[in-house]
Amino acid sequence: MKAAVCSCAWIATAVLLFAPVRASEPAQVDFAREIRPLLSSKCFACHGPDENHREAGLRLDQQIGATAELESGSRAIVLGDSGESEMIRRVAEEDPFVRMPPAKSGEPLSADQIDLLTRWVEQGAPWSQHWSYVPPEPPPLPEVAQKKWPRGGIDYFVLARLESDGLAPSPEADRHTLIRRVSLDLTGLPPTPEEVEQFIDDPRPDAYARLVSRLLDSPAYGERWARVWLDLARYADTNGYEKDARRTIWRYRDWVIDGLNRDMPFDQFTIEQLAGDLLPEPSLDQIIATAFHRNTMNNTEGGTDDEEFRVAAVVDRVNTTMQVWMGTTIGCAQCHNHKYDPLTQREYYELFAFFNQTEDSDKDDNRPTFATPTPEQKAQLDELLQRIAQLQSELPDAGEIPGESSSESEGGDAEASEIQKQIEALREQQKNVELPTTPIMRELPADDRRETHIHVRGSFLNLGESVEAGVPSAFAPLPPDIPRDRLALARWLISDDNPLTARVTVNRYWERFFGRGIVETSEDFGAQGEPPSHPELLDWLATQFIEEGWSMKELCRLIVTSSTYRQSSRVTPELLEKDPQNRLYARGPRFRLEAEAVRDQALAVGGLLSSKMYGPSVMPPQPPGVWQIVYSGESWETSKGEDKYRRGLYTFWRRTSPYPAMTVFDATSREVCTVRRIRTNTPLQALVTLNDPAFVEAAQALARRIFAHSGEDVQAGIQHAYLRVLSRPPRAEEAKRVAELFASELAHYKADLQAAAKMAGSEIGPPPEEMPVDVLAAWTVVGNVLLNLDETLTKD
Amino acid sequence: MNYAQHAIQALTRRHFLRQCRVGIGGMALASLLSRDAFGAAPGKPEAPLAPKEPHFVARAKRVIYLHMAGSPSQLDLFDYKPKLNELNGAPCPDDLIENQRFAFIKGHPKLLGTPHKFAQHGQSGAWVSELLPKLAGIADEVAFVKSMVTDQFNHAPAQLYLHTGQPRLGYPSMGSWLTYGLGSENQDLPGFVVMVSGGKVPSAGKSVWGSGFLPSVYQGVQCRTQGDPVLFVSNPPGMTREVRRRSLDAIRDLNELQAREFGDPEILTRIAQYELAYRMQVSVPDVMDIARETKPMLERYGAEPGKASFANNCLLARRLVERGVRFVQLYDWGWDGHGTNPSDDLVHQLPKKCKEIDQPLVALITDLKQRGLLDETLIVWGGEFGRTSMNEERNGSKYLGRDHHPHCFTMMLAGGGIKPGITYGATDELGYFVTEDRMTVHDLQATILHQLGFDAHRLSYPYQGLDARLIGPAGEAVVHPKLLA
Repeated sequence: MKAAVCSCAWIATAVLLFAPVRASEPAQVDFAREIRPLLSSKCFACHGPDENHREAGLRLDQQIGATAELESGSRAIVLGDSGESEMIRRVAEEDPFVRMPPAKSGEPLSADQIDLLTRWVEQGAPWSQHWSYVPPEPPPLPEVAQKKWPRGGIDYFVLARLESDGLAPSPEADRHTLIRRVSLDLTGLPPTPEEVEQFIDDPRPDAYARLVSRLLDSPAYGERWARVWLDLARYADTNGYEKDARRTIWRYRDWVIDGLNRDMPFDQFTIEQLAGDLLPEPSLDQIIATAFHRNTMNNTEGGTDDEEFRVAAVVDRVNTTMQVWMGTTIGCAQCHNHKYDPLTQREYYELFAFFNQTEDSDKDDNRPTFATPTPEQKAQLDELLQRIAQLQSELPDAGEIPGESSSESEGGDAEASEIQKQIEALREQQKNVELPTTPIMRELPADDRRETHIHVRGSFLNLGESVEAGVPSAFAPLPPDIPRDRLALARWLISDDNPLTARVTVNRYWERFFGRGIVETSEDFGAQGEPPSHPELLDWLATQFIEEGWSMKELCRLIVTSSTYRQSSRVTPELLEKDPQNRLYARGPRFRLEAEAVRDQALAVGGLLSSKMYGPSVMPPQPPGVWQIVYSGESWETSKGEDKYRRGLYTFWRRTSPYPAMTVFDATSREVCTVRRIRTNTPLQALVTLNDPAFVEAAQALARRIFAHSGEDVQAGIQHAYLRVLSRPPRAEEAKRVAELFASELAHYKADLQAAAKMAGSEIGPPPEEMPVDVLAAWTVVGNVLLNLDETLTKD
Repeated sequence: MNYAQHAIQALTRRHFLRQCRVGIGGMALASLLSRDAFGAAPGKPEAPLAPKEPHFVARAKRVIYLHMAGSPSQLDLFDYKPKLNELNGAPCPDDLIENQRFAFIKGHPKLLGTPHKFAQHGQSGAWVSELLPKLAGIADEVAFVKSMVTDQFNHAPAQLYLHTGQPRLGYPSMGSWLTYGLGSENQDLPGFVVMVSGGKVPSAGKSVWGSGFLPSVYQGVQCRTQGDPVLFVSNPPGMTREVRRRSLDAIRDLNELQAREFGDPEILTRIAQYELAYRMQVSVPDVMDIARETKPMLERYGAEPGKASFANNCLLARRLVERGVRFVQLYDWGWDGHGTNPSDDLVHQLPKKCKEIDQPLVALITDLKQRGLLDETLIVWGGEFGRTSMNEERNGSKYLGRDHHPHCFTMMLAGGGIKPGITYGATDELGYFVTEDRMTVHDLQATILHQLGFDAHRLSYPYQGLDARLIGPAGEAVVHPKLLA
């Protein structure tokens, strides 16, 4: 390390910077919140946990390394003395050849950042472990002034922070807003006008709690939250890569829906998906659950090396597991030690070893697969078995062979062979029941285990030292004397010692309700992630979640019944300036619906949405030519009947060409695990909701509903339309504007009945005779407008 | 020393040196004072496509990337190897195939000379085969890079590597990076447009124009020559443009009422996006309608309105860049010449594909030049890897063909500050390995970004705790100075 010469300019800057700071007794610097993230982003790449790329022997992620004497004789940090600390001198150095970080590593530190580091060193450079690696303890509820506001723990933490920032919470949203908000959040569907009226008129003090219970009990709850989980599980209906051929794995999707609806505790939900096959005497469902990790891609392109892509799948399993449960981005340790978090390349392959013992090996048929009957098939098969058993009991003595008996039983013979025929026919039927297969995890036999090696620079062809399965040393160890298999790993993930799983999970839930996580980088709780905005709230939720037996429904209930969630989302200019992103929750959440909900809502308000659950994925209409795939005869076969209008999560998901109307609304390709979809606001979205036939048909169906409800009464029609689409009556100004539109379009279509017939639509069936097409056409335009309002596309 | 001076110092150290080395030089320091020297900020949600300044002065404003999906044979088009012809049919030397992995070749393959004639063309004396006679005629306008290498030898990973910098799925494509970095010059059209010909999308599917972890607003928008040019751009049956206007007026008025009530600025963004959608309903069909071109112009490209062809797409590419579209990506399928049958061999299929592209490719380059657009439009042409010096002879096939080859391939660059009339890099006498000026896929990406004004090491986006970049989080890439004008 080259010693820096302190220049005059530096002294001048230092005086300017620090003089006023010293004068005003600076606040205590928070290492976890302010210093570690700064060191991580600016220094750890060369002075962090990765010993192979450590420069100048300096390690800044631990106090012992940061304060040690360096090769140059100086010390990076001298506790309490910024003047003697080489690090402070080097980050403030003006000569770019001497300054840290070096120019090729990024931008120099800002004056504020240098000031922060200096104050921290002056305050004795206190260190602490990275916050998320310390297991959460239930924090005490803070004192608040506005004692009447909090309904539960969440509200105490939120209010305490608001009060310390001089802000007050917003009033509670009105009931119209609340029922729409909580219905969309819990079920992904808007309430019906009847449900709205019932809630508005419910005088009972626990009306809202009853509403929440009803929604949590609705089968639509499981569908809505399965959608969220399936992004993490990278669930899709094709293999990915070049050929991207179909795979049958929808039984796994149905397992998720069912598990959520039954409120399977998250710890069990974890164990069954990661290691259901290793449980003692696993049930059929527990085996299907293991398809979680068979959602990895499978390369069937000619000339590819199966081992290369088997390894790629195992890598994906390691990365996804760490991502989903530990909020840890570990992918980089595949090639080298992690530069920011305490994870070595060796530890990466120790985790890899857990997943390296399954039979699957990138075969075109996705084997091993598991054929199991669906519940309907099971009922059918049980009935067949019963009938066969019944017939068998009607046969003559089992020992007697037909045809060999004496002459007096000839009549019996004929009868027996008749029964025999019937049995065979039933057996034939039994054989013809086509059981859906699901790719599953199956452990290799004990005498055929793979040896796991470090892959030098991440290459599966360049094997280094061999390693055994194990967990990273930064966390609690596995219990001794248990087999180090996936089941052990799954149990370790949900053990009390694991500091991350509960925090990461509750944060993801919070993100779904409020638009942003308490840790905004919900995919990264490591050194490079954002620190939590409300650390105590996060820990309170995490400990509460565990205490409630890992119940996901109770977690949802806890959040949606809070005063924090129930606030109005109205924003004042003052609040917008102080907290534009609503990180402090002085107002309710307001953000755009997810892709699937945008579609489901439109179909629901039009009355087109099918309530059919489960089963093979469906192909609702999509424009011709969207699927053009090499080396594959696959084509999009548009579903018929109600399958055209199923909920979005049942749509066939082709990884290389996902359903266009959904990707435009930020749905992902499901090639890899996605923790959060980034919300965008683009003109292509407007084109979908304005013109995609599914949305036009929804408007046409809505027009018929309006007419059926209100006949020629335009004002009543507008009232009804608003109630259907937005769960509230229109304000006077709105009703007036919509009436104007209706009048102009009615005049337009009266003059052109042919266009009116087209606009009123026939794809959903010809309009009933009593409904004039010009009126329907005008209502269709109104419906199209309402389905495109910002408020409609937004959870408010 | 203030912030801007720091910026200049950082830049002068890193870039001035590099640019002197690469021969650009002459960068006006003063102009940097007014620029965002620290790189493009992540697109603000309210105006993610607003024009933004790059790191330094750009040589090109936009890119037309012509990808020949499947990968044409460099040995039959540009990389002339008399020695290979001489040794035609001889067993391949052992040292070339030891420790090599091939997609399809099995056993000990034989060398394969080219069945096509080569000649030198133009002042530069570039070697071009008889299959591309028109391109040979403008050899002095373009640069041939014969020393490209990749580390992928299957189509999908190689295409992903070329377009996203990673052989895996889930990363943003070059066009996404550039629209993220630069925004769009035309707010009535998408900033990144993709068109396919040859009847199929490339092997890696739509991921090669995906936005990966960047916001989806930066993903390529596929424009189609049949049906709606952009999905759902047409109003539903029975709805005229006047009805659409009146309904959008109502949407706007009702949204404004809501904005007044709730104060959420996102509502105003949505109003703006609906207006843009309305303008796109006219601008997209307009730009995509090549029937508006003169007959001589259509003939020059060999374009026929209503067809899905590479010729049409070349003409459309010109119409799009003329209107300020930032990145036009064409994919043409049908170049995977294994020689298993006449539809994928060197004697029937390769000449057919060459005939399809020769005229429109040359028309595009010369047309842009005549319109004064070539200087600021970077044209890139090539496949995802090379082809072997050996005949594949899969299952004893009698048709001539070559297997996938990652160790060398030829790409063609033109316009956008690329030195015209040069051949860059070289391969050994059998056309197997690069011997001079090796250029990696990341180098090519860095060069493209450089011409658009970006340092590939600094154009980044925070993802998974890292500053993710096109050339990978740890990737090192160099801009090749000899290629630049």
